[in-house]
Amino acid sequence: MAEVANDEVRRAQNWLGTLVEIRAGGAARNALDDGVAAGFAAIAAIHRALSGHAADSELAALNRHAAHAPQRVSEHLRRVLACALDLARASAGVFDPTVGGALSALGYLPPPREPPAPASWRDVELRDGRVRFARPLTLDFDGIAKGYAVDCAMTAMRARGIAHGCVNAGGDLRVWGAAAETVHVRTGGPQGALLPLATLGDAAVATSAYGGQRRSSGGRYATPLIDPRSALPVMSTRTVSVIAPTCMVADALTKIVALSGARAARLVAAYGASAAILTPTRGRWRCTTLPRRAA
Amino acid sequence: MRYEWLIPAAGFAALAPQAQVALCAEYASVDAAQRKAFPEATAFEPVIVAPEAKAAIARDAGRFVVDPKVWRVRGAAGTQGWFIVDEVVGKQELITYALALDAAGTVVALDILVYRETHGDAIRLPAWRGQFTGKRASDPVRLDTDIRNVSGATLSCRHVTEGVRRLLLLHERALRG
Repeated sequence: MAEVANDEVRRAQNWLGTLVEIRAGGAARNALDDGVAAGFAAIAAIHRALSGHAADSELAALNRHAAHAPQRVSEHLRRVLACALDLARASAGVFDPTVGGALSALGYLPPPREPPAPASWRDVELRDGRVRFARPLTLDFDGIAKGYAVDCAMTAMRARGIAHGCVNAGGDLRVWGAAAETVHVRTGGPQGALLPLATLGDAAVATSAYGGQRRSSGGRYATPLIDPRSALPVMSTRTVSVIAPTCMVADALTKIVALSGARAARLVAAYGASAAILTPTRGRWRCTTLPRRAA
Repeated sequence: MRYEWLIPAAGFAALAPQAQVALCAEYASVDAAQRKAFPEATAFEPVIVAPEAKAAIARDAGRFVVDPKVWRVRGAAGTQGWFIVDEVVGKQELITYALALDAAGTVVALDILVYRETHGDAIRLPAWRGQFTGKRASDPVRLDTDIRNVSGATLSCRHVTEGVRRLLLLHERALRG
């Protein structure tokens, strides 16, 4: 495959509804090829289990049956759900993996068989690897599943001796290795721009750029970010990036920060993360970081 | 965790050197992708697909953006499979991808070969569009215009899925047997 640096392999495939790019370095050529293949295999497995877009995924089956009887779930699904419920609890519902119903109403996800009654994360019970819904609802892991897939790809590649690399799933990305890499952020909206964001050594970053991804809903534009407290799409031009120890947590925190702003500072710190809020202001981008750091 | 923000704690962010964002990345040459998908192959023979077959597929699964290039993959024991290079429109520019099928038409590999994308006013400028024509995998990739390490860029591959559906029909109707 095409090489960017002498000892680097770089490939791209489409998974999780986006372009997934994997780079690997710091090993023999054959090991790099095997490592990249293992990374894509890990992502493909998460895609098959957790996609909210595929009717035959494990998640789709869970959404169909868990309101009727407890369902045993895979380790992947259990981990992502446990993380999602932790974040829902810690954010008092600002993050809620049951807003899938609102997303399908807006055309971002296929509609469920039965229209969901008003439900929240509190209606989801996870115990001993089994999941039960207290009422019909639609779990949607879209973003955090993408982040989790990135984390799994990195784990698989490291296990095969890939010393440094990068996995980027449509902007949810994780970097590891000796040399720090510069990461840019693409902001959303009509002012969409490319800004140098951070240098990452071993860290994950995720970004939610809402202004850039809009879809018409009943004649009005709606972002794919739903406020679980109102079940309405958020009208925001802010771009939020979060750096965190794992990509799964980074992705979820972008949503919480986008909805709560500076009020999320303590939660961001509790997860060992750091957030940047970029707001378009007269043709430029105003920055704020959470938790606050010295200017 | 090791990181350092490049944006100020409070204040305005600097723009990247190229404020108009054009992203382009080349992942693999056709040759390399062929060898990767079929390491045991003895030959890749170009196949001409009848225009009528393509027209019929277009009616059922949408039009081809370009004429897909098709190869019959020969192995020690006859036809090993098929290798097809096709292009679809991403957000505004073309995505080149390669689909490898075994002899029965099962997907063996699906790789993006070239990803190109432009944003904002850039798409109206012929000079920007021009930079994408004639690009080959051997051309160097500029970091400033590269999609590596860009967070927040949800790169559209939706049309690749539609393209693959067309190519699977192409195999079923024009290649199999």
